Amino acid sequence: MAENQEKKQSNKKVLIGAAALIAVVAVLAVVFFVFREKPVQGHKSITIEVIDNTQSSTVYEVHTDAEYLRQAMEEAKGLEFSGTESEYGLMVETVNGVTPDYSVDGAYWGFYVNGTYCNYGVDSQPIEDGDAFVIKYEVYVAE
Amino acid sequence: MNKRQGGLAISIQDIALIGMMTAVIEVSKLALSFLPNIELVTFWIIMFTLFLGPKTVYAILAFILIEISLYGIHTWVIMYLYMWPLLALVVYLCRKNDSVWFYSILSGFFGLFFGAFCSLPYIVIGAVDGGIRSGLVMAFNWWVAGIPYDILHGIANTILMLTLYRPVRMLLKRLILLRHST
Repeated sequence: MAENQEKKQSNKKVLIGAAALIAVVAVLAVVFFVFREKPVQGHKSITIEVIDNTQSSTVYEVHTDAEYLRQAMEEAKGLEFSGTESEYGLMVETVNGVTPDYSVDGAYWGFYVNGTYCNYGVDSQPIEDGDAFVIKYEVYVAE
Repeated sequence: MNKRQGGLAISIQDIALIGMMTAVIEVSKLALSFLPNIELVTFWIIMFTLFLGPKTVYAILAFILIEISLYGIHTWVIMYLYMWPLLALVVYLCRKNDSVWFYSILSGFFGLFFGAFCSLPYIVIGAVDGGIRSGLVMAFNWWVAGIPYDILHGIANTILMLTLYRPVRMLLKRLILLRHST
């Protein structure tokens, strides 16, 4: 009888100990989720507008810490692009599945920043907070 | 209490035993080092303290020296110097307890609070540059960043103790009997 009582007491202690252990895990988890280092949104806010061969426009808003346009384009959700790597960086050939062919009709992707034609390729085009980029399907017409 | 068996005075036999304890702790640590915060050091320090008494402290110091020779001196040395002896002290004070559950829960708590205790040196490190408030913030942030690993540490410690306590206790009891009979 006394042995049973002792065993019950011991089981109770184990249960209390296990419950305390679980409670501490829960408290630690809460502390972690409340006080952990939160990911910081990018410091620069820019827009990238794509105007394709049908004059259809899609605007991407990007919050980024990127220094150059290429990384910001990679961070723009939904924007897909590809091209050929060269000594000047990436030569963009395809944007959102559209590939202009300059040799056929003089078509190419023109890159603009705040209304001015970009002087650099996507790998070296610097970006600043508030910049508005436009990637436009254009056709060169000889005068 | 027989001073030769239970105290801190050491004999040649003890030196051999301390060497073995150190080797077991170090080898098991290296064997599991690829798993973050899953370790057998806690388990062995508890078991050795229970069965071999305060001399485990010597094994702990030897273990820390080996770790320093492998990884160099860093802030973790300060943490190890108080964390592992603290564990041995707590176990030594509770040594009359023989329950697998007790030591499993104790190991669990030790793992869960490992980061919190280890963050203490950062109070001093942070306070050197920016005062006590800066030190407290530094220690708190360091502790919070490691909480997922502390939870993993606590759970792993509990499971390892639950699994290994009984078979290892049996082996150590045999070892003690053998030691006393020689």
